[in-house]
Amino acid sequence: MPPWLHIFTLELAVLGIALLVLLCDALSPLGARALGWLTAIGLVAVLVASFAVELAGSAPHGVYVSGAWVLYFQRLFLCAGILGVLGSIDWLETRVARRPAEYLVLLLASLVGMMLLAGVRDWVLLVVAFELMGIPLYVLCAYAKLDGPAREPKLAAEAGLKLFVTGAASTALTLFGLALVVGASGSSSLDGPQSANVSALTGVGMLLVLAGFGFKIGAAPFHMWIPDTYQGAPTPFVAFLSVAPKAGGLAALVVVLLSGWSRQHELWAPALAVIAAASMAVGNLFALPQKDARRLLGYSGIAQMGYVLVALCARSEQGIAMAIFFIASYVFTNFGVFLVVHAAAENSGGHSLDEIAGLSRRSPWLGAALLVFVLSLAGIPFAVGFWAKLFVLLAAYQAGLVWLVVTGVVLSVVALFYYLSVARSTFMADGRSAEPVRSGLPLRAAIVLCLAAVVGLGLWPGPLLAEATRAASAFAGGP
Amino acid sequence: MTHLLSIIVAAPAIAAAILLLLPNSARTGVRVVSLLGALISLAGSIAVAWTYDRAAGGLQRVEDYPLVPPLGIHLRLAVDGWGVPLLLLTGIIIVTGVLASWSVAKRDKDYFVLLLVLVAGVFGVFVSQDLFVFFLFYEIAVLPMYLLIGIWGASHEVPAAGPFRFVWKRFAVGGKEYAAMKLTLMLLVGSAAILVAMFLLWKEAGATTFDLGVLEATKFSRTTQMIAFPLVWLGFGSLAGVFPFHTWSPDGHASAPTAVSMLHAGVLMKLGAFGVMRIGMVLLPDAAVAWAPVVGTVAVINILYGALCAASQKDLKYIVAYSSVSHMGVVMLGAATLTTTGWNGAVYQMFAHGIMTGLFFALVGIVYERAHTRTIAKMGGFAHTMPVVAAFFTLACLSSLGLPGTAGFIAEFLVFLGSAQGAHAWWAVPGVIGAFVTAVYVLRACKTIFWGPPPKEEFAHLADVQRTEWGAPLVLGTALILFGVWPRFLLDFIDLTSTAFLGRIPTIS
Repeated sequence: MPPWLHIFTLELAVLGIALLVLLCDALSPLGARALGWLTAIGLVAVLVASFAVELAGSAPHGVYVSGAWVLYFQRLFLCAGILGVLGSIDWLETRVARRPAEYLVLLLASLVGMMLLAGVRDWVLLVVAFELMGIPLYVLCAYAKLDGPAREPKLAAEAGLKLFVTGAASTALTLFGLALVVGASGSSSLDGPQSANVSALTGVGMLLVLAGFGFKIGAAPFHMWIPDTYQGAPTPFVAFLSVAPKAGGLAALVVVLLSGWSRQHELWAPALAVIAAASMAVGNLFALPQKDARRLLGYSGIAQMGYVLVALCARSEQGIAMAIFFIASYVFTNFGVFLVVHAAAENSGGHSLDEIAGLSRRSPWLGAALLVFVLSLAGIPFAVGFWAKLFVLLAAYQAGLVWLVVTGVVLSVVALFYYLSVARSTFMADGRSAEPVRSGLPLRAAIVLCLAAVVGLGLWPGPLLAEATRAASAFAGGP
Repeated sequence: MTHLLSIIVAAPAIAAAILLLLPNSARTGVRVVSLLGALISLAGSIAVAWTYDRAAGGLQRVEDYPLVPPLGIHLRLAVDGWGVPLLLLTGIIIVTGVLASWSVAKRDKDYFVLLLVLVAGVFGVFVSQDLFVFFLFYEIAVLPMYLLIGIWGASHEVPAAGPFRFVWKRFAVGGKEYAAMKLTLMLLVGSAAILVAMFLLWKEAGATTFDLGVLEATKFSRTTQMIAFPLVWLGFGSLAGVFPFHTWSPDGHASAPTAVSMLHAGVLMKLGAFGVMRIGMVLLPDAAVAWAPVVGTVAVINILYGALCAASQKDLKYIVAYSSVSHMGVVMLGAATLTTTGWNGAVYQMFAHGIMTGLFFALVGIVYERAHTRTIAKMGGFAHTMPVVAAFFTLACLSSLGLPGTAGFIAEFLVFLGSAQGAHAWWAVPGVIGAFVTAVYVLRACKTIFWGPPPKEEFAHLADVQRTEWGAPLVLGTALILFGVWPRFLLDFIDLTSTAFLGRIPTIS
């Protein structure tokens, strides 16, 4: 056993769970519920173990570096994985009862890819991890292709294809950019060129790589796939898709830009600022006329990514800390809101705002949960989203990016309008259906977990902020 | 009781949490728990007033808990001479507001939860000594309003007119959801301005603390002050109904249910004025002097414009709402004088107007519940069937126009006296004219609705005040007279703090 293998303990453990699920499914037909719980409990065990094991170290040639920075993201991905599995169990049981194991295994494989991303310090490994994260997602996206109820339009195939084509295109862009960058420097290490002035070809390569990342995290103007994919893919999976890969992309983006290419910031910083501003503008403005909850949340997610990038534009340790605080807040909030929409839609038959209207009368708790999540996305005090948005804008302000702060503040007021209209249709409008919402235990557990995180961190953001600061300083102090 | 301030702030919030656990069917339980929560806060406020050491003055009952250490945000609570009367006001209004909401039938549990959360935020603002926490509580006080108006409010027809009549149809003007959205968006735009100003100050003060005491000790550069002051003034001012950002107020107050109008016009608008004085003028003294002509002139416009608008309304609730805009102008005028007398008058007017407008909205609610109309022309001679309502309404009218012996007189007199002493003595003239117009419209409304020949057949059997409805008129009416004849009790508190804060304002040469 190589002496550095221990730094991959968590990834190997998740891989082990995936193999266990496959094995169980092959040996005896356990059913979606048992397999789902098995996976969820396994992931919880890994999450708990992450607090007990010592993971610091680096792989040979410095291609992978572990530490507090990596651990922060790995825990976040594990949380997303747990929520993703819990949220899917009921859906798997009712809709795709014949093949639940593959769904779970693909989810876990994607999870392993994400968990690798934060520690990667080598281009080859980065591309591999990215694809490991991305390819299972294409499959999962189209998973409901054959199984949906007859009356529903079959949008899953379209969703899967859209994600696949844009994903492949973004990979191609990244690879082409990398060919230029790596070709010029002659090394596959993430540590970029030493001088601040790079050749035009390298510069073009860097911008191409940036565009590839833009697709992955769904930032404008690379956001086109998001609304259609969200609308067509199974909702519990969209909950996962809308947060985890974005967090993964962010982790890699931070590593590439602020560790690898920090000397060339004059080249990419303006581009990044434009992408951030465009994402906030496009996301918030295009969300206004949406009638489908999933499309609305898709556009809102684009805007949220804009806010994260604002923090990265600050190019400071504080900015990194605020960005990863934001992404953690976003993971719990967006997961929660999609799961509530899923629970409401399962009982009313559709995802349009009209169809989830009157939710608070059908289920007061779900209505209240939706309100909290939406307020958190809008950045209203005493939900974690408020602190997230505040910290991000603060970091940009301290870095002197006043125009980005003003853009962000103005657009977050615009955003209030559509977030409040979700609240209005939940609480004030009369819904088409008056039946109480019935949802299974795992789904309810996942929603309660998200709610606890959003409210708990909203009331007391100190610990997570301290953790994010620690991770950021570990990142800045690292090689 | 070392944690009295925390208890005052937390009691309504805890009551709201208990309500969430009660079943929807426990109608009496919901109301009793809400009333208890409100009563604890009121009792706490009275105890704070009683035990406040007037000889020592300054901040008392300081409590400090770290909230976000990296940014230096502390949950720092303390009360000063301005806080005491405003705590009392909030306590009185929430107790009477809960009593006035006793008959809410639709989703009553949710209603009381939101009402209590809102009032917890209001209490929090008045005792916060940390700028950031001040802002947080301010937001909590503003946001529940959206749902309170949107769900429990009342819609009414507003005939489309003017070049923008297509807007009426597009946005459903007059609807409760329109009113709720307008109010929330306007106030949150104000919040964004406040947030920007807040961080401007935080950064210049060393980016380590939001403690108001430390910020007061910091000498901000003139540029910062000149930029931050208008942000604070308009940000908080949008809630105080500063012209031309008052337009949410008539729609919002007219659409809101009774207790929400009471709280909003009675207490929340004071948060705005309090913010302008406590944050804007005290932290930014140089800018306060430089901007005072603008602030005072706009306040005078508020007084006159609000009064003239009120005089031309046909809907009773709109009259009261516009009179609030006019009376809040008096508060802002008092603040702009930058004299001890003016500031004392401003804070006293916050208290007096809060009580008075609370009484107004409570009575309007009672009348509306019975007559199902708010159009003044349709009503008449109600004193024959509801003499108690008529008596209290007349009392509120008299305080509104500033009759000696009512709390309104003390406040307006001090403000006008202060403006005569200040640098811009002419402000007193339009101010007094505004008070005269007020007399015209309140007396006319009062006469049409209550006095005169017996009511028409359809209104002949309207019942007078019953059971819990007694609460609001009795308490608020008593307070109006009590603090009209015994102003010293509150002025002693107010004067201490006004004098201390004014010491920071450079004298106008």
